[in-house]
Amino acid sequence: MTSSAIAFPLGLASSAVPNGGATLEREAERDAIAACRRGEREAFDVLVARYQRSIYRLCYRYVNSHEDANDLAQEVFLKAWRAIGRFRGDSAFSTWLYRIAVNACLNFRALRRPQTLELPETLLDPRPGAEAHVERNDEAREVRAAVSRLPDRQRATLILKIYHDLTHEEVAEILGSTVGTVKANLFHALGNLRRQMTPAGEIRS
Amino acid sequence: MTAHVADESVVDLALGGGSAQARAHAGSCETCARRVQEARAALELARGASVPEPSPLYWDALRSGVSRRIAEDKPRTSGWAILLPLSAAAALVAVLWGGPATRPPTVEPTLPGWSALPAAEEDEGLRVLEGLALASGGGFGEWDEASGLGAYLAGLTDDETQALAERLRNGGRGGES
Repeated sequence: MTSSAIAFPLGLASSAVPNGGATLEREAERDAIAACRRGEREAFDVLVARYQRSIYRLCYRYVNSHEDANDLAQEVFLKAWRAIGRFRGDSAFSTWLYRIAVNACLNFRALRRPQTLELPETLLDPRPGAEAHVERNDEAREVRAAVSRLPDRQRATLILKIYHDLTHEEVAEILGSTVGTVKANLFHALGNLRRQMTPAGEIRS
Repeated sequence: MTAHVADESVVDLALGGGSAQARAHAGSCETCARRVQEARAALELARGASVPEPSPLYWDALRSGVSRRIAEDKPRTSGWAILLPLSAAAALVAVLWGGPATRPPTVEPTLPGWSALPAAEEDEGLRVLEGLALASGGGFGEWDEASGLGAYLAGLTDDETQALAERLRNGGRGGES
């Protein structure tokens, strides 16, 4: 993938930016990356603001804890800042950043904290109805917990494919694997998720 | 009987894609139809589990946290970046300290401010040189400065050597007395 494809090949970015401003945003991102490579730290804030939500959510899916997701997201951006001088634009910036995030998640030692820490009250969205949106029911909590218990590669594949709406090719590029492996991992992830969520002998539909 | 569709194709079918052949098979094979249905149900289950949305204030806190960590982050250097200058420094020290063992000894090009030579009238060495000069003029062979003293002495016959020694013993005059 060339630097011209830096655009928003990934669902995370396209969902975060209005379509009308895509070109401007793309140019702004390219400028910000160039500035970061020159050591201008303020330019990195632009990239953090752009991807913070996606990276945080990816981390949250992985560790199922706000505190850990917060730590991980900060760690991801710190690693990206340290390494941005080596970013050559061979892949999209979002792909590159996702790769850093997935590696950070894979290396994460979840045993540091209990696994089901939810958002502190002070950080919950105060808007009307938001609380109901935040936690619709116990099932969502159970599914998140089940996802966080999947084997590493299955979990990463499921998260990237389902929650970030990436193509098989994009997931393969991020995980450094093949499309066939991505599909196989997704198949097994779905099977394991279903088994965790379904009482023996019952098929949910 | 047609072979069941591969796991990868089940995923494609569950996601709404897949080849026409796979779709046709799943449409007629109860086993594969169930596999696709189960995968689709798991997908729906996963998609329904949203992540709690943090307060808008949280994103400012996240950005601040990132900025703080970057500010506190010391410039990281790779192992090579550390080892290379150290290696260069070690090599330089080795050259400076270990150099005399491998290099020829240096010659002081300057003379001391005082002279160790005695006055001419007290210098016994001058008498030897005078003897040599006389010997060379006394039939002992040509004194060739270019060949040096060693070559000159080596070229003398036994008789000449004896005569020279006698003359030196007499301060350059004995042989003639």
